Amino acid sequence: MALCGSKINVMSRGFHTTPVAQEIRKMARLRVVDNSEIGKSAMLEGKPPRCIHVYNKRGVGFLGDKVLLAIKGEKKKAILVGLKQNQSPRIPKFDSNNVVLINDEGTPLGTRIHVPIPHILRTLLQEKTQTKGADYTKLLAIASRYV
Amino acid sequence: MASVGRILSHDIRQNIQNFKSLFGKDCRWLSSQAIETQAKSSKENADDKRKVDDRENTAPLEFRFKYPEFLPDPNAAYRNSTRERLERMDMMARRAHIDIPTFYVGSILAVTLSDSHAVGKTNRFVGICIERKGCGLRASFRLRNAIDKQGMEVVYNMYDPTIQKVECLRLEKRLDDKLLYLRDCPIEYSTFPFDMEPELIDETAPVRINTLKVPLKPPPWLERWERQDLKGVQEFEVNEKRRRKAEKHKTPWEEFDLMKIYRQTIPMEDQKDIFAEVYSDLHKLEITRRKMARKRKFNRPDKPT
Amino acid sequence: MAGLLKSFANLQISCKFLHPRVEAITVPSRGRKHLNYWPRKRNPIWLTKQTRVQYNENLTADNARFIKEVVDTKYSNSELSLGIAGSLRTSPLKVEPIEPKAEWQPSYRRTGVIAKKIGIYPLWLKNGKRVFTTLLQVLDNHVVRYIPPEDYKPILFKRKHKNNPRQERLGCLVVGSDSCDPQKFTKEYCGLFTDSGVMPKRVLTRFRVSPEAALAPGTPLVAAHYKPGQIVDIRGKTIDRGFQGVCKRWGFKGGPASHGVTKTHRRPGNIGGGGEKGRVWPGTKMPGHMGNRMRIHKGAKILRINTKYNVLWIHGISIPGETNSFVSIYDTILPLRRLKESPSFPTYLPTADEPLPEELFCDELHPFTEPTIQFSEES
Repeated sequence: MALCGSKINVMSRGFHTTPVAQEIRKMARLRVVDNSEIGKSAMLEGKPPRCIHVYNKRGVGFLGDKVLLAIKGEKKKAILVGLKQNQSPRIPKFDSNNVVLINDEGTPLGTRIHVPIPHILRTLLQEKTQTKGADYTKLLAIASRYV
Repeated sequence: MASVGRILSHDIRQNIQNFKSLFGKDCRWLSSQAIETQAKSSKENADDKRKVDDRENTAPLEFRFKYPEFLPDPNAAYRNSTRERLERMDMMARRAHIDIPTFYVGSILAVTLSDSHAVGKTNRFVGICIERKGCGLRASFRLRNAIDKQGMEVVYNMYDPTIQKVECLRLEKRLDDKLLYLRDCPIEYSTFPFDMEPELIDETAPVRINTLKVPLKPPPWLERWERQDLKGVQEFEVNEKRRRKAEKHKTPWEEFDLMKIYRQTIPMEDQKDIFAEVYSDLHKLEITRRKMARKRKFNRPDKPT
Repeated sequence: MAGLLKSFANLQISCKFLHPRVEAITVPSRGRKHLNYWPRKRNPIWLTKQTRVQYNENLTADNARFIKEVVDTKYSNSELSLGIAGSLRTSPLKVEPIEPKAEWQPSYRRTGVIAKKIGIYPLWLKNGKRVFTTLLQVLDNHVVRYIPPEDYKPILFKRKHKNNPRQERLGCLVVGSDSCDPQKFTKEYCGLFTDSGVMPKRVLTRFRVSPEAALAPGTPLVAAHYKPGQIVDIRGKTIDRGFQGVCKRWGFKGGPASHGVTKTHRRPGNIGGGGEKGRVWPGTKMPGHMGNRMRIHKGAKILRINTKYNVLWIHGISIPGETNSFVSIYDTILPLRRLKESPSFPTYLPTADEPLPEELFCDELHPFTEPTIQFSEES
């Protein structure tokens, strides 16, 4: 009975659920858009991963930034490939915050990205790729479509 | 005098209501009919009146809906006649190189632009125009589409020199002046195919108004839609508290706030001066566009063969 | 004994007179150089009261109309507001034409110009990037007066400039802008313009110049004084925001909005420590009047020049002042971005045989008259 009551409370919660600032910070929920096993099952189970770290100095993730995810009890790295926040002219703004899972070398875990990704990522990821570090441009090869 | 004032205000109110019913709230062109009516009533300003009428003949009234970006920001703190003239000169210089078709919020557009990041250095996007704002060279529009069930939006500056081509695939209006609520609608209402054929546009006929009413998804929403007077949305229910709050935030008196409307609009006389300056060039561009359209129309049957 | 005493008393009196005493009352200083701020602006002695009280001059209707007609033809505002270069009226006085007496050298300082901030709008670069530009119109500028270095003695000479030989070598050029109806000014103020033979100006500014860059009074200054791509400094009065709190004035964070906080949402918090230095230190950021101060925006680049309307497009939006306010522009003093090539020295003088094009663009700017930007595949 108590459980039932609590459920009702959740349904009619008093605070608003609209996003305050559509920014990728720690604890932001993201959507995995590649066909990697772990990502697909997490999204199907309704347990979208959370961002637990952003690898830049501001702590706010932007297009092409690397983030650390907590996904199904594991820690995985991912690249932001589409954002909900307002973008500058000519760059698309998406309805969800999309990520593609990668490993430490920058190789994507999946083999296909099933939503479009922005063209500007080609430049951004090339800039981020160092000769000795991870090669993020491998992600571009598995994209199905660019906008 | 009092009676005159009442008549004038009645005129204005009716005008405003007519405009509002057609074009929504955010209009920089609602304008003051009062001064003009006064000029007509007084015999002293007969010369002025004639001048006004002459200008009326040169620039048609629908220009302020077709080319709203030529009207400056009504805030007096930002206005300067020289700056506005230079801005218009730049806009016309850009329009000489690119044909920007007439479109409204609700029309479906295709934008081709040169993109240094893309593979072929060009990029094409198709979508429904859900917002149009800014004046002068800052004018921009926002296109929305859904590809692979992923909704996305792109903002374009109208006078951006990287834009190669703007096509109006379907010319129509919707019931609202902003369609931002499409973000909270089922995805099929903002899905348009990229290979859409441009529809033939009859320049003489009035612009078609699409009276489609879209359903909203259940909350949480991105905005408090119940507080906005949306016409293109199906009936929806909100809980008692939100309904009460929406009721509380209504400002029905603003409809009759003449000063507010005056501050938010460009006077009719200024509008005429502005459009008189660019009318001949715009008219020439329009004629060439019509010629091109006719050419396309005649060429089309040949294409399949 | 008595005589001895008397002579001693006399000696005392004489001693009193021998040692001069200052009778003025001195106020003890509290160890600070000055208690209040220096006055922000001290006008030079020759600058008289500008405007006068408008009173009824009992003019007949005919006379009033006649005066209005004369003023309209002579000072018609419609032309001036456009500031078109062709409408610039030169001085009727016979002034000797300025010849560049000396070749330009990097150490020479040219005059500046007065401009009106007329708005902000975007332009695009050749790489497709959008930049916001501020438009400054060089409105009806004329040289009003030249003060040679030996005569230039400002009331308030900046302390750092005192005994600085470099500063003492500079003269001063008074430049005026925005001609107005002379009826609005006092006769003394109108008298300032008799030497130059130009109309009374509403705005006057002094520019320090090298004697080699001095100009004859009555010389018009136009936007082509500068070249596109040049770096300038812009001095103007910032927007007056009135008395403001610390959040707006200094960007303090304020306090939390909720969680039991009362009356401490936009307050500064602590303003100083206790103990030995238990006082508020000078310069502590506090609420107060914000804006309406002279500020210099240094190192702004000129992207585009319109020689017909005399407009400069300056990169950036942080030019001090509101739209339709006046600013003064001069060559930058930043050491690494100073003029390297010869500008039009001492100023640009329009010549009939080789007129400038109407629009001048900086190299990286995309003119709207050119076709759409196309990117090519780099090899």
